[in-house]
Amino acid sequence: MNLRRSALLLVLAAGWGVAAWLLWRSSLPAYRLPHLSESALFPAAVLAAARHYSSVDRLFWLGATLTQLAVLGVYSRFGVRWMSESAAGPVGTGMLLGMIGFALVWAAELPFAVLSVWWRRHNGLDGSYAQATVGNWLLLGSQFVALCIALAVAMNLARVRRIGDRWWLPAAPVFVGITILLAFVSPWLLGGTRFDAPYVAKLERTERVHVPVRVMSGFAEPNAFATGLGPSRRVFLWEPIVEAPFTPREDRFVLAHELGHLAHNHIWKDIGWYALFAFPLAYLLALVARRRGGMGVPEAVPLVILAYVVLQLAFLPLRNVVSRHMEAEADWSALRATHDPAAGRALFRLFAVETKDDPSPPWWDYVFLENHPTLLQRIEMTQYWAANR
Amino acid sequence: MNTGMTEHPVRLVVKDDYRRNRLTVFFRLLLAIPHLIWLFLWTILALLVAIVNWFATLILGRPPRWIHRLLCAYVRYSVHLGAYLWLVANPYPGFAGEAGTYPIDVELPEEPQVQVRWKTLLRLILVIPAYSIAGVLSGSFSIPGAALLFPRRRGGSKGYQAGGGPGGGFLGFICAILGWFASLVTGRMPKGFRDAGAYGIGYGAQVTAYAFLLTDVYPSSDPLAMLETVEPPPAHPVRVVGDAHDLRRSRLTVFFRLPLAIPHYVWMSLWGYVVFVVAVINWFATLILGRPPRWCHRFISRYVRYQFHVLAFISIAANPFPGFTGRPGSYPLDLELPIEPQRQKRAKTLFRIFLVIPAFFVGFAVEFALFSAAFFTWFVALARGSAPWGLRNLMAYALRYLAQTNAYLFLLTDAYPHASPLEGVDAPAE
Repeated sequence: MNLRRSALLLVLAAGWGVAAWLLWRSSLPAYRLPHLSESALFPAAVLAAARHYSSVDRLFWLGATLTQLAVLGVYSRFGVRWMSESAAGPVGTGMLLGMIGFALVWAAELPFAVLSVWWRRHNGLDGSYAQATVGNWLLLGSQFVALCIALAVAMNLARVRRIGDRWWLPAAPVFVGITILLAFVSPWLLGGTRFDAPYVAKLERTERVHVPVRVMSGFAEPNAFATGLGPSRRVFLWEPIVEAPFTPREDRFVLAHELGHLAHNHIWKDIGWYALFAFPLAYLLALVARRRGGMGVPEAVPLVILAYVVLQLAFLPLRNVVSRHMEAEADWSALRATHDPAAGRALFRLFAVETKDDPSPPWWDYVFLENHPTLLQRIEMTQYWAANR
Repeated sequence: MNTGMTEHPVRLVVKDDYRRNRLTVFFRLLLAIPHLIWLFLWTILALLVAIVNWFATLILGRPPRWIHRLLCAYVRYSVHLGAYLWLVANPYPGFAGEAGTYPIDVELPEEPQVQVRWKTLLRLILVIPAYSIAGVLSGSFSIPGAALLFPRRRGGSKGYQAGGGPGGGFLGFICAILGWFASLVTGRMPKGFRDAGAYGIGYGAQVTAYAFLLTDVYPSSDPLAMLETVEPPPAHPVRVVGDAHDLRRSRLTVFFRLPLAIPHYVWMSLWGYVVFVVAVINWFATLILGRPPRWCHRFISRYVRYQFHVLAFISIAANPFPGFTGRPGSYPLDLELPIEPQRQKRAKTLFRIFLVIPAFFVGFAVEFALFSAAFFTWFVALARGSAPWGLRNLMAYALRYLAQTNAYLFLLTDAYPHASPLEGVDAPAE
C-alpha cells in the first residue's frame, strides 16, 4: 500500500514538474544581465527619495501582514463563538465565519491602510483616506462574494458522503473553472475609453496580437495591464501613464510590453500556474480542516482561513518568481517589437520618480513583494538587448 | 429584558369610525386653508414660546405651567388638523386644540413634568433621529407647521415638499392620497390607510411633545403601543412570526452588516431572474387553472420568504445571518405564507399587475421607513448591543407589508396587502 502510494505521489510530482517546466518555457534567451550602477542611472535625490519611501512602505506591509496573521491566529481559536449569530445552516454558517474572519482582518489592518495613505501623501503621491476606509469597507463585499463561492464549493463537496475529505480533488478543478470564467468575463466589465495612438496598429502587427486598447480613468498611479481570454482579450492603460511626463515613445514601450503578455499567452499560463498550485493548496487545506472535523462543518472554517493565508504567504515567493519571469519575457518582447531600448530605459527611470519604487530593494522585499523584475534589472535588460541585438 | 414597552405619556386616542363624507373629502385641502393659515400663525407663536420654555426648563427643571398648557394645545391642534388633512378622521376640527373634541386625539401630560437638565440642554440634537423617522412616517406633522414656516426650494422653484418633513415623509401622504380616492368611491376610509396615517400622526405628536419639552420620554415608534386603542385588522394569510422580544444584536455583525449581506444580494438577484420566469408561467397557469401549480407556489414562496429573511438581516430587524434557501422556520423573524396554493379569482389574476400598483406606492413609503429605521438601529445596536424595541416593531411592520405585496404580486395569495401597522388576528369563532 505504502509503495503504491509512494509511486502515485512520485508520478503526481513528476507530472507536476513536467507541467511546471512546460509553463516555464519562454522566448527569453539564456541571458546574463550586465551589472549597472544605480547611482549612475538615477539622480541621487530620486534614489534617496525612493529608498526612503519604500523602506517605510515595506514596514507597513510587514506590520499589516503580521497583524493579519495574529488576528487570524486568535480568530482560529475563538472564531467558532460567532456560530451562534447564524441561522444559515452549516454551509451558510461557514460562510459567515469566513466573512467575519476577513472583516476582522480588515479592521485590524485599517490603521496601516490609513498610515499608508498618509505616507503616500507625505511623499507627494496621491492617496484617498475615504477610499482607504469607507471605500475598502464597501469593497469587502466583493471579497466576501468570492469567499462565499469558494466556501460553498468546498463545504458542499465535503458534505457529500462519497467525497468527504477528498473534496479538494473535485474542488480544485472547480476553482480553476471559476478563474477561467472570471478571466474571460472581467475585461468586458472594466469599461474604459478607446486609446488611439498612431503606433498601436503597427505594434499589434509586430506582436501579432489584435485586441482593443482602452484607457481607464480614476487612477492615481501610472500602470497598465493585459487581461482576457480569446475574444475578451484587452489591454488597459491607466490614465496617468498616457499623460505627461510620460512621452508617446514610453507609452509605446508600455503597450508593447502588455501586448507581449498576450502574444506569449501569459494569461493562460497564469491560469495554468494557478491550477498547478490549486491542487496542493486545496489538499493542504483539507488536511488542516480534518483537525476540526473536516471541511463540511463550519467549525473548521476559522482554522482553514488561517491556513489559507499562511499558505498564500508561503507560496508568495514562488508565485513572484513565476510572475517576474513572465514580466521579463514581456519586457523582452517589447524590446523586440519597438527596437527602442532608450524608451524602455527612460520609462523605468521615470517610474522611480513617479511611483517612488526602490530600484534595488533588499532581498526579502524582492522575494515577497516584487512580482516584476526590479527597475534596475529592467534597465539592465534594455542594456543587454542593445548590446546583443 | 427592557423592551421599552412602558406606557408613553403621549398617547394617541382613536375613536374614528371610518365613515367619510364624500363632499368634504373631495374639497378637503381647500376646506383646510383657514386651518393652515391659523396653524402658520400658531406655529410662529409656539416656536417662540418653545425657546422661552427651553431656557425656563433648564433653569427651573420643569416647564412653566402656562407654557406647558399652551404647547399642549398646540400639539393637540396639530394632531387634529393632521388627522383631518390625512383623512384619518372625518369631522372638521376646532381651532383651539381642546382635549376630547376630536375622534383622533392625543393625551398629553396634564401637568409639567420634572425633566433631566442634560436631556433638556441637548434636546435639539437628541430629537434628530426621532424627527427623521417622523418625517418618513407623517411628513410635516412631525413638527407641525414647520413646512409652512420653512418652505424648501426644490429645482429652483419655491414649493412645499410632499409631506414636508425631513426625508420627505411619505407614508401618511401616500395613504392620504390613496385614501382620498377610496373614500370618494366608497364613502369609507380603508382601515389600513387610516391606521397607517394615525400611527404616523401619533408618532409625530410624540416627537413634537419631546422637542417642546412636554415630556422627556423619548418617542416610541412601536406601532402596537401607538395603536393600542385600535382594533386589529382581520388576519392576513401572509404574516410575520417570531420572538418579538429577541432584541439582542451582535455588534460585530451589525458593524459589517452591509458587506456581509452582499453575497445574499448576489444570490437573491440570480434567484430573482429565475423567479421572474416562473412568475410568468405561474400567471398563465393560474389564469387557466384558477389556482397556481403547486411547484410554482412552493418555489416562489421560498423566494419571497428568503427575501424577507435577507431584508430582516440587512435592516437589523433580526440578528443572525440568514440561510440561502428561504426554508420556513429557519429564521427567528419568519414569514408565514399559505402552505398550499389557494383558489384565486381569475379577474383579479388577470389584472394583478395593475391592482398591485397602489400597494407598490405604500410599499415604497414603507421601505423608506424601513431603511430609515435600519439606519438609526445600526448606531443604537452598535452602542448597546441590542435593537430599540420601537424601531424593531416598525421594521417588522414594514417587512410584513413588503412581503404581503410580493405575495400578492406573485399570486401566492389574492388577499390584498394590509397597510395597518397592526398584525391581523383571526376572527373569533362564532
